[in-house]
Amino acid sequence: MDAMRSGPGVFYDGTTSARHSVSVELERDALLVRAAEGYLLARWPYGELEHLSAHEGMLRLGRAGSPVLARLEVHDPALAAAIDERAATVDRTGASERRGRAKVVFWSIAAVVSLVLVGIFGVPAMADRLTPYIPFGLERRLGEAVDAQIRPMLDTGKKGKAFECGIAEGEKAGHAALTQLVGRLEAAAALSMPIRLAVLRKPEANAIALPGGYIYLFEGLIAKAETVDEIAGVIAHEIGHVAHRDGTRSVLQTGGLSFLFGMVLGDFVGGWAVIIAAKTVLQSSYSREVERRADAFAVELMKKLGGNPRALGAILVRIEGSNHPGIKLLLDHPDTKDRLAAINLAQSDRVAALLTPAEWAALKRICAGS
Amino acid sequence: MTVLDVAGPGSGVPSVPAVPAAPAAPGRPGIGAARFFGKQGAYWRLMIRGAILLLLTLGIYRFWLATDQRRFLWANTEIAGDALEYTGTARELLIGFLIAIAVLVPIYGGFFLAALDLGIIGKLSGVIAFVLLALFGHFAIYRARRYRLTRTVFRGVRLHQTGSGWLYAVYSMLWWTITIITLGLAYPWAQASLERYKLRHTYYGDVRGRFTGSGTSLFLRGFVMWLLVVGPLLAGLIFAIGSISWTALAEAIERGGDNVIGRIESVSPNFGAALAFISIASTWSFIAAPLLYPAFQAMMLRWWTSGLRFGEMAATSRLRTAQMYGLYLRFMGYSILLLLVIGVLGGAVFGLAPSLLKVAEQSTLAEASGVVTTVIIYAVVMLAYSTMYQVIVKLRLWRLSFETAELSGLEALDKVNAAGVPSSAFGEGLADALDVGGL
Repeated sequence: MDAMRSGPGVFYDGTTSARHSVSVELERDALLVRAAEGYLLARWPYGELEHLSAHEGMLRLGRAGSPVLARLEVHDPALAAAIDERAATVDRTGASERRGRAKVVFWSIAAVVSLVLVGIFGVPAMADRLTPYIPFGLERRLGEAVDAQIRPMLDTGKKGKAFECGIAEGEKAGHAALTQLVGRLEAAAALSMPIRLAVLRKPEANAIALPGGYIYLFEGLIAKAETVDEIAGVIAHEIGHVAHRDGTRSVLQTGGLSFLFGMVLGDFVGGWAVIIAAKTVLQSSYSREVERRADAFAVELMKKLGGNPRALGAILVRIEGSNHPGIKLLLDHPDTKDRLAAINLAQSDRVAALLTPAEWAALKRICAGS
Repeated sequence: MTVLDVAGPGSGVPSVPAVPAAPAAPGRPGIGAARFFGKQGAYWRLMIRGAILLLLTLGIYRFWLATDQRRFLWANTEIAGDALEYTGTARELLIGFLIAIAVLVPIYGGFFLAALDLGIIGKLSGVIAFVLLALFGHFAIYRARRYRLTRTVFRGVRLHQTGSGWLYAVYSMLWWTITIITLGLAYPWAQASLERYKLRHTYYGDVRGRFTGSGTSLFLRGFVMWLLVVGPLLAGLIFAIGSISWTALAEAIERGGDNVIGRIESVSPNFGAALAFISIASTWSFIAAPLLYPAFQAMMLRWWTSGLRFGEMAATSRLRTAQMYGLYLRFMGYSILLLLVIGVLGGAVFGLAPSLLKVAEQSTLAEASGVVTTVIIYAVVMLAYSTMYQVIVKLRLWRLSFETAELSGLEALDKVNAAGVPSSAFGEGLADALDVGGL
C-alpha cells in the first residue's frame, strides 16, 4: 500500500464552483493537490484533514476548521486507502463514528430511564410538595377555568331542562334539603374554601370534584341512593378531595407529566398516543392512593356527624354492580373490594339522622323537573 | 425534505459507479441530468436501525436519524456529474431544539396563565395561541429551510437563503386564510407567491434563484381536480341555502330549543333533499381526494420543478403521473403486507389472551403492564409503518424528482463564486418542537 504515492482526484477550491481534475500526491506529513498543469493548488497536513459525508464510492475531504469549503474528492479506492492510512481523522470504516453513536444511544436511554423514574416518583412528590403552597385564590381561579372547560363536555344537551337540577319550581325543596346537608358536612369538615356543589342532569351514577371546591353529583347517583347517609358519604368523599386539594394536585401532576413526556421528548411517530397512555398508567397509580385517603376522610366526617360511615361502601358496591363496565364510580378503578374493606372497618359510635324523612324524600326528587 | 423543499427521498437499485461521469453530460453542451444512486437496501437498514433506536430513546435519537437520512440522500444525489454534500450535524439540530424549547416554554407558560384569566384575555387565549403558534410554525418552516440550504454544499460552494422568516410567516398566513375562504381556489396563486418569495431569497453561491411558475397556469391545470373534489360539495351547499325559506328559518331560531333542523325541514320541503345530497357529495369527496392525490402531487412537482431558475440554469420536469401512482400502489401493497403480518401476530397474542386477561383482572401491576405492552405494540406498529413510508414513498419520490428533471444552462455552473454563511438550527428546532415537519 505504501507504494501508492499519488493518484487522480477532483478538487474544488471553495471560492468558485470550477471543477479541477487534479493529481493528489502523498508526502510524509501532508497531502498535495496539483493541477493538471503542474502547479500546486493546495497543501493539506494530514492532521488537518476532515473526512466529510459522501457516498460509499467516494472519499471526500476538506480542511478542518477552514471557513473556505475547499473539497477534494477521491474515487480511486487504492488512493483513498492510502490517505486513510496516513490520516488519523479519516474514518472510512465508520468505527469512530459508531463509537460516538453508541455513546449517544447509551446516554439517551439513560436519560429516558431517569425521566420515567422522575415521572413515576418525582412528579407526584413535587406535586405533593407544591400543592400546599398554591394560594386558595389561585386554586379558585383554576377551578373556575377547569369548570368552564368541563361543563360543556358534560352537558350533552337535549331534554329541554336546565342542566343543573334544583332550579325548577318543583325541585326547590330538594335543593334546600341538599343545601342543608352540604352545609352540615362543610361545617364539620372545616374547609379553607367554600364548597360549590351542584347536581347535574346526567344518567351516570357518578360524582366528581374539581379544584376550587366544585363538586358535581350526577342525577344517576341520586337515583341509586337508598338512604341519605349514602349521598352524604359520597359528598363527604368528594369534600375529602377538596380538603386534600386533589384536583389542584392532579392539575400539577398532569402539567408536569405533559411537560416531561411531551416537550422534552418530543413527538416521533405516534408519540402522542404513547405519551397519553404513559400518563394514564402513571396517573391511575397515583389516583388509587388519593381515593383511599378521600374514603378515610369521608369515614371520619360521617362519624363526626353521627351518620353511618359504612353507607359509602354500600353505595359503592351497588353502583359498581350496575354501571357499565367502562364507567367506573367516583373516579377510578377496580379495587373497590379493598376500598370497601377499609370503609367497613369503621364503627359509628352515635347515630343521628342527617335529614328528616321529608327532606330526604325531597332530595330524591331534586331532578324531578317542574 | 428536498434540498429546496417539496418532496422527500427516493429509492435506488443501480450500482455505485467507481468514477462519476466527467464534467457536464453527454449530448448537447450545458444540458444535463440529475441522478440518484443510493441503494434502497442501505436506506432500509439505516431507517430500521433508526426506528429501533427511536423507540429505545423515546425519540431523542431523531436528531441523529434525520442527519443520517440527509447525509444519505444528499451524498447519493448527483447533479451534472457532481454529488451533493450535507454538512449539518446532529449536535446542531439538538442545540436548535434546545433553543426552541427555551423560547417556547415561557410562551406556553404564558398561555396557561392567560387561560386562567376569566376576562376577555382568557376567552381569547385559545384563538391568540392558535394564531401565534401558526405564525411560529410558518416562521419555523422558513428558517428550517435556511438551515438545510446552508448545510448543502455543491462543488465546494454552499447554498444559502436571505429574506425574513417573520415576513414569510405573515405572507403565508394571509395566503392560507385566502385559500380557505375561497375553498382552495386561491391555492395556486398562494403557492406561486410563496415559492417566488422563497426562491427569490435562495442563492447558490452568488447566483440568485427565482421561480417562474405562475399561479394561473397551475390553476388551469388543477381546476378539473378541484371541480371533481370540491364541486359537488359546493353545489350541495348552494342548493341547501337556496332551498331554505329564510323567514321560516328566522322564526325557528327565534323559538329556539331543540330540533331546529327538524323545523327548518318542515317549512323548506327541499331542505331534506339538499342535506342528503350534501352527505352523498361529501362521501364522494372523501373517496375522490385520496384517489386523485398522486395526480395532484405529480402536477405540483412538475409545475414546481419546471419553475426553478438559478441564473442561467433552468430545470424542466419530465415526471409522468403514472410514475406517481406506481409509487403509491407499491406503498399500498406493502401496507397490506404489514397489516397481514400484524394480523397474524395479533391473532397469536389474542389466542393467548384469555389466560392473560384473567391474571390482569387480579392485580394492578398486571393491568399496568398490559397497558404498557399495548403502548409498545402501538409504537412498534406506527414506527414500522412510518419507516415503510419513508423508504417506499419518500425515498422514491426523492429519486423521481431528481431523475425526471432535465437541466439546462449548466455552463454557468463553472463560474459560481462562493457566498453565504451557515445559519443556526433554531428554525429546525422550532419546527420540531411545533411539529411542523422540521426533521
